[in-house]
Amino acid sequence: MQDFLNYIQHSSQTPGEAGNFAWATIYILIIFTGISVAVIAMNWLERKVLAHMQVRLGPMRVGPHGLLQPIADALKLLIKEDIMPSEADRLVFWLAPVTVVITAFTVFIVIPFGPTHAVTDMNIGILFMLGVSSLGVLGIIMAGWASNSHYPLLGALRSSSQMVSYEIAMGMAVISAVLMTTLTSDGVGTLSMIQIVQSQDKQQTWFLFRMFPFGFLAFFIFAVAMVAETNRAPFDLPEAESELVAGFHTEYSGFRWSLFFLAEYAAMLAVSSIAVTLWLGGWMRPFPHWMAGVGWDAFFSFFPAATFLILALLALIGTVRMPKHPAFKIQKGGLGLFALVLCGIGILLLVPAVKDRIQDIYWFVAKVSVFMYAYIWYRGTFPRYRFDQLMKLGWKVMIPMGIAVLIVVAAAPAFNFVW
Amino acid sequence: MTFKELSRKLLLVDLLKGLSVTFRNQHPKEIYTEQYPLQRPRVAERYRGAPRLGVNPDTNETLCISCDLCALACPEHLIVVTSERNPNTRRKELTTFTYDLSRCMFCGLCEDACPTDCLELTQDFELASYSREGMIWDRQTLERGPQPTKYER
Repeated sequence: MQDFLNYIQHSSQTPGEAGNFAWATIYILIIFTGISVAVIAMNWLERKVLAHMQVRLGPMRVGPHGLLQPIADALKLLIKEDIMPSEADRLVFWLAPVTVVITAFTVFIVIPFGPTHAVTDMNIGILFMLGVSSLGVLGIIMAGWASNSHYPLLGALRSSSQMVSYEIAMGMAVISAVLMTTLTSDGVGTLSMIQIVQSQDKQQTWFLFRMFPFGFLAFFIFAVAMVAETNRAPFDLPEAESELVAGFHTEYSGFRWSLFFLAEYAAMLAVSSIAVTLWLGGWMRPFPHWMAGVGWDAFFSFFPAATFLILALLALIGTVRMPKHPAFKIQKGGLGLFALVLCGIGILLLVPAVKDRIQDIYWFVAKVSVFMYAYIWYRGTFPRYRFDQLMKLGWKVMIPMGIAVLIVVAAAPAFNFVW
Repeated sequence: MTFKELSRKLLLVDLLKGLSVTFRNQHPKEIYTEQYPLQRPRVAERYRGAPRLGVNPDTNETLCISCDLCALACPEHLIVVTSERNPNTRRKELTTFTYDLSRCMFCGLCEDACPTDCLELTQDFELASYSREGMIWDRQTLERGPQPTKYER
């Protein structure tokens, strides 16, 4: 027990590096729960934000402002009849969603939520991430094949070809970011996720602004490729409702379908975390060098608590402004309770011991949530690409651009020309 | 392709414009959806809904003079008016008035034909019924007017 407390208060290593098996397990459980909660929150936010963009209300009836809608959906999915097509390949049909979910969640063990907040720090972290997340394609092909039906097969083919072609552009962008880690004084590069962020710390800039505009271009390529990788709008051809019903998961329903859903959102979180780690300075707070000093540190350390307290205030305002109709009585109470919970979390984050440890996680999650919002935003704005346009964009624009950026970033330091 | 068009394409101006449009439309003030059972919808001014037979508010007597003009005007012949002559006043008095809503197309010709403005198509739109017979409205129903079920809970 004493070890536990010591570890959480003073450790400067990730549990994997310290060889602390118990803490590694706890971290894995925390991350697993955190991702699931994030997926639930994302589900609600997506429906709500998308609805508002389309001048609709979105879910309003289950709980205040539909806050309990994702839970109701999850319950409905779990008690649904488990259907398997009679002509399906039973083993592969069962294995496909499992594969997709496992690959989507395995990626999270190397994601650095903070210098010590990762399950483990591998020296090949970024390679591991890209490698494991690409295995998700296998699960999708399995799902399409095992369903023994036309639409899933076509959807799986589209999906896999799309993911494979965008992986190249993505790889180019990632390599250029990895090359930038060598621009420190000692000139040693790294593939470890934690050291990539520390390298940005040493260079006193995010890689997004390094060698401008090439760092930005690499980030842009990654930002486009990651939308295509996760099969999201405007690249959601594999699931194009108007053409392929639902793509590779047409024949899936109930619990298995919810696994695909979970994996899709987990993959979105994972690629957003890669983008944040590589280009947006990971867990670093804004301007750690320009606004250095005890005063600024104290100022930025109040952000996590402030966020929750502001959310609580918004929920409270929502409670007060609820219509004065007896039908809204329960909803009003529920929203008030939610406001109190948020307020409680905010106050908990003000405790000094918690405040210092939670910093890194807060900034990391804040940056990732910007990406998650962007995902919804794209979906609300852009029309879907035609398949040949998608391939043209991937092969004729993204990959040449990626190679060009890579060449510049690789060659410039050789001529001592770095900015 | 001119330079302007090219730079427009390269800098993704159109995509950014689209993004800004959706971002601005997010404001809750823009929402057009109504929460129907809780909120009464805004019905158009010239909307033609459930028919109603007007009564004199003071005496509670029908305004209908049983002239049968509405029944003649109706393209579907769905209005049946029966009356009998009162021997004392020598005036026709309305006995029954049936209006078959299931066949009505809400053209409003009956309303126009009515000389006393007794028959009117109101703004009420909640016309659902559990049976076909329920759609045939008699004089009582028509005079009582719309009585929508109140949403509770």
